[in-house]
Amino acid sequence: MNRIDRYADLIIRVGANVQPGQTLFVNAMIEHTELARALTRAAYRAEARYVDVRYQDQHIRRAMIEFASDEVLQHSPSWVLERMDNLPGNAIASIAGEAEPELFADLDQERVGKARSIEVMNRALKAQNALQVNWTIAALPSPGWAEQVFGEPDMERLWEAIATTVRLDEPDPVAAWREHTDRLRRRCGALDECALDALRFRGPGTDLTVGLLPESRWIGGGIQTHDGITHVPNLPTEEVFTCPDWRRTQGTVRSTRPLALGGTIVRDLELRFEAGRAVEVKASAGAEAVQGQLHSDEWADRLGEVALVDGESRVGKTGLTFFNTLFDENATCHIAYGAAVMFSAPGLQGLEPEELRERGANVSSMHTDFMVGGPDVAVDGITRDGREIPLLREDVWQLS
Amino acid sequence: MATELEASTKDERLERYAAVAIEVGANVEAGQNVFIGARVEHAPLARALTRAAYKAGARYVDVYYTDQHVRRAMIELGPDEALSYSPPWLIERYESMGGAAMVGTSGDPEPTLLADLDGERVGRARMKEVMQVAMRQMQERSVNWTGIAYPNEGWAEQMFGEPDVERLWEAVAFCTRLDEADPVAAWREHMARLDRRAKALNDLQLDALRYRGPGTELEIGLLERTRFCSALFRTAAGRPYTANLPTEEVFATPDARRAEGVVTSTKPLALLGEIVEKLVLTFEGGRVADVQAEKGAEVVRAQISTDENAVHLGEVALVDGESRVGKTGLTFFDTLFDENATCHIAYGMAIPEGHEGEATGEGINVSTVHTDFMVGGPEVEVDGVTADGRVVPLLREDVWQLPE
Repeated sequence: MNRIDRYADLIIRVGANVQPGQTLFVNAMIEHTELARALTRAAYRAEARYVDVRYQDQHIRRAMIEFASDEVLQHSPSWVLERMDNLPGNAIASIAGEAEPELFADLDQERVGKARSIEVMNRALKAQNALQVNWTIAALPSPGWAEQVFGEPDMERLWEAIATTVRLDEPDPVAAWREHTDRLRRRCGALDECALDALRFRGPGTDLTVGLLPESRWIGGGIQTHDGITHVPNLPTEEVFTCPDWRRTQGTVRSTRPLALGGTIVRDLELRFEAGRAVEVKASAGAEAVQGQLHSDEWADRLGEVALVDGESRVGKTGLTFFNTLFDENATCHIAYGAAVMFSAPGLQGLEPEELRERGANVSSMHTDFMVGGPDVAVDGITRDGREIPLLREDVWQLS
Repeated sequence: MATELEASTKDERLERYAAVAIEVGANVEAGQNVFIGARVEHAPLARALTRAAYKAGARYVDVYYTDQHVRRAMIELGPDEALSYSPPWLIERYESMGGAAMVGTSGDPEPTLLADLDGERVGRARMKEVMQVAMRQMQERSVNWTGIAYPNEGWAEQMFGEPDVERLWEAVAFCTRLDEADPVAAWREHMARLDRRAKALNDLQLDALRYRGPGTELEIGLLERTRFCSALFRTAAGRPYTANLPTEEVFATPDARRAEGVVTSTKPLALLGEIVEKLVLTFEGGRVADVQAEKGAEVVRAQISTDENAVHLGEVALVDGESRVGKTGLTFFDTLFDENATCHIAYGMAIPEGHEGEATGEGINVSTVHTDFMVGGPEVEVDGVTADGRVVPLLREDVWQLPE
């Protein structure tokens, strides 16, 4: 099997874990035809009932942001909603990797931030949070992305970096993934046993406390749908994460890596939180794009995820900044503003948005991860009785 | 430096082309939603169409890309039920087009991609319910739409034996009148001429058409309701649009019950990923009774069995030697062009503009299929026959015989 077919096979078998009789929804950019086609073949070989590929085109989006009226920036076409309504019981494979990372850089950033099909996102998040769909995201290299990472369009080098992070360099990638996900699950077990009430991040420009909920549970190395289908939502994944209490984020945090938001690169982001809400945004580039997102709905300015990653991460070990959340969030610890990842608070499953918010879990159409960890950032857990437990020191995992 | 100049000239040509498609073709109205359907390989055109549509005041432009390799994987590896599956979201996409404008693109980048697959499965691989909704939209005349082609390497290779995209672009630009100083005005004039031709045909009140040529001896009945027209259509709300770019034909709905004789196609037909050559159809009592071809007969056989009415004719169309498409002397292997090079007929669904009154009824064919194939040329004579048996020559050696 050639590389693209081996990769597609891994995405279908380990990532989405497509089951016989399922429909697979592939979400791709128009530059991703090579992988979308390989995924289609792999899914039919895994006895998928039907494979639906939706190609999106950032140039079409650019034209909309540039020319369309304000009123349609957040338009959700009825047929795309209908597609989302067909997710439950089926599988999704989304392909990441921006071909032209700076395509929106010269546009009105407030419009760029606003241009999201909110209703479409809500329905996708709903199906994912309700554990009704087995899904995964994986990336495909492109010359534009390689250029951004290396300063030259060295596709082969990017392919090799990605291949290491997704363990395609192992003789049996499927077995290597089983071992890796088992390790992440053990880590979650150890964290759950600590019954933490808060996390504290301390480092240059960072002193942030993130409250946790009594219902918060640590997730890593894959999840199960209600139908019992184990899947790995991100390829690669190195994180263990949980749902914070949106009301109890306090202090300042400085991002430790650049963040790619659509077609904009945000650099040196600093956020100040008061009583759970981001009240101040600073950045050396792209602050408006973050502002646009934080204001895209009423609840976007509160945290929905906190995640821990240590120095053993294969992504971190590449030493690269990928300018892509899928990779960069797995290089180091991160937090996300916007929607809570509801399957990390199983005790709150099934509650209506109002109740969820009342119980401290954020509901929003936004979810943006940004990186806050690294060797200079110490992370502690704080138990309900005020005991401090070191979790990360110089990127080394401190729990057994 | 030369290449930069060349690039900007080509970009400008693409923008002009897209503007003709939006202004003359679909004739997008300010505030309308616009639906674009394109192959992934047509992205540069889809993007130019999107920009042109927004500049014409479109509210929202929805682009849906299709990928023949994904389709190939389905035909090759998918379960039987996948072949004819109509995803509800694609049905919804067509349902939501009422009142909107639509542009479809053609120009096959890999014309033989499906050639090595099981022809029977290729023929069956159609989203029947989606097609039904699309055809209903067409009959309700609720969408102003057009079809336009995107020159690309694979298509050029098929035509010229080498991927000479520039040569193909020049042919396409000529056929779509981009070489005129004011293409929009040139199109208005051209469509007015075709409309005059259609009126002259309607004044004759023909009862049948007769085709005679090598391998062809065919008579097709017409209805009292039959009306010849050009591709200058109007929506039910009265908005004019030009359904094909280019277009050179005047066409009409025949009596689906009356076709008798044999017809041999005069140009290759690109159908569902295969090339059908020297197609010979025998008609008896209005039905295709026999299908032969030097190549690709199976795809045609599969297609005419997809529903019970696919074996009946739904369109007759006349094109003379003045056609710009014909004048190129090229076979485009693309119906949008080849059907405008010469006379053609289509099996399957009747087009509502080709007859008066209700979209359905006695003798008007209803089907989910509509495939045009070319039957005209300098060696094929076409006559009209009036109800009282008078024979009126319409085409001799590709020259239009009625006064203009």
